[in-house]
Amino acid sequence: MPSARLIVCLDVRDGRTVKGTQFEDLVEIGDPVAMAAAYEADGADELVFLDITASTEGRSTVLDVAERTAASVFIPLVIGGGIRTLDDARAALNAGADKVCLTSPAVERPELIGEVAAAFGAQCTVANLDAARTESGSWEVRTRMATGRTGLDVVDWAVECVERGAGELLVTSVDRDGTRSGYDLELLKAVRDAVSVPIIASGGAGTAAHVIEAFEVGADAALLAGALHDGTLRIDDVKSAMLDAGLRVRTTAGSS
Amino acid sequence: MKIAIFDDGAGNVHSLEKVLAAAGDVVHERDVAALCDADVAVLPGVGAFDTAMSRLSSDAARLADALSDGLACLAICLGMQLLFDRSDEGELDGLGVLPGRVQQLRTRRRPHIGWEVVENATEPTLDASGLRWGYYAHGYSCPSNGLHRVTATSRIEGQVIPATIRANRILGVQFHPEKSSAPGTAMVRAFLEEVAP
Repeated sequence: MPSARLIVCLDVRDGRTVKGTQFEDLVEIGDPVAMAAAYEADGADELVFLDITASTEGRSTVLDVAERTAASVFIPLVIGGGIRTLDDARAALNAGADKVCLTSPAVERPELIGEVAAAFGAQCTVANLDAARTESGSWEVRTRMATGRTGLDVVDWAVECVERGAGELLVTSVDRDGTRSGYDLELLKAVRDAVSVPIIASGGAGTAAHVIEAFEVGADAALLAGALHDGTLRIDDVKSAMLDAGLRVRTTAGSS
Repeated sequence: MKIAIFDDGAGNVHSLEKVLAAAGDVVHERDVAALCDADVAVLPGVGAFDTAMSRLSSDAARLADALSDGLACLAICLGMQLLFDRSDEGELDGLGVLPGRVQQLRTRRRPHIGWEVVENATEPTLDASGLRWGYYAHGYSCPSNGLHRVTATSRIEGQVIPATIRANRILGVQFHPEKSSAPGTAMVRAFLEEVAP
């Protein structure tokens, strides 16, 4: 396995980084370009810009953000949100993204996954799964900032995404998002057992121990957002803890 | 220095262009003749094997001849795989500059995405840049034996794969130096200084 990756996620709305809890109560927290550069310097292994701009006309702002970021930040960059067509994916890549993360539109039109993978390769195609726990103990795929019910089982959908060409899955717990109570480990285990592509744990990280737990249940990467943005966690501290826990971690000059 | 990136629209060459632009004039080329005319040709690592080969189409032989005749070339990821005769990934023939078949990784987790230690290095650009970790995103790897020299390796789930290779004036890199942070960009610059001082 490659080294355990720490991925920093910046939710971008109208060109600014925002943060909410369980997809609501959004507040602006900074300039994504400057934040991206600072996180690269801190040792982030990868960056995700998740475009949560509501309006179509605001969409191009995330491309502008990506382009300005890619001019000076040389770690992998993922753009997600709002990608509905192959042309949208191409525009994201041309703006400097290395991968695209497909969200609600791929649930609504699953062929999109195959189209992107055929054109740009599986290694470029990340599928996002917004997973909400159900009363029966499984998980339902949600869409549209977690408000859309689909009736789709998350594990079934994960398998279908991979069959259609996704090379990586971003597994987001809707229930844990922003709560700092830890990733949904049972969810990660269930998806891990069902697919062989890399999976990224998302939603709920508040401590280094949460991150380590995610790798212990088989995640290949852990997504961090709010806990880094507000200074609760630092990347080098989390990586130190991961090293102490016996994980392989990329170390950079200036960090341990 | 004129640096030409083969750009068939199959993905992101943005980062690569930013790194290269610090050292010379960068042009995006679909035209093989123009690619062969540059001081340094760059085969970027994006897209799929057959898509890339079909875009090169009838001009593939011309590019192969130029590379065999000493055209300086930085070939990244898929770009490096195109140098060989064929690949498990596609039906079409590769450039055939180097003999052998590109093989699918035998790893449990595939595609292989993430950072790996680059080791056993005799590669001068690694020495010059101090690069220790490379960012990989691939499902296939190049042969270890043939007319090329393997100048560094990485170990993926116990499988040792070529990380960098040399042949003629070609540097092939399986990871993405343009995505491997500051040491990666230093590595690209070191190669450009070497081939077009």
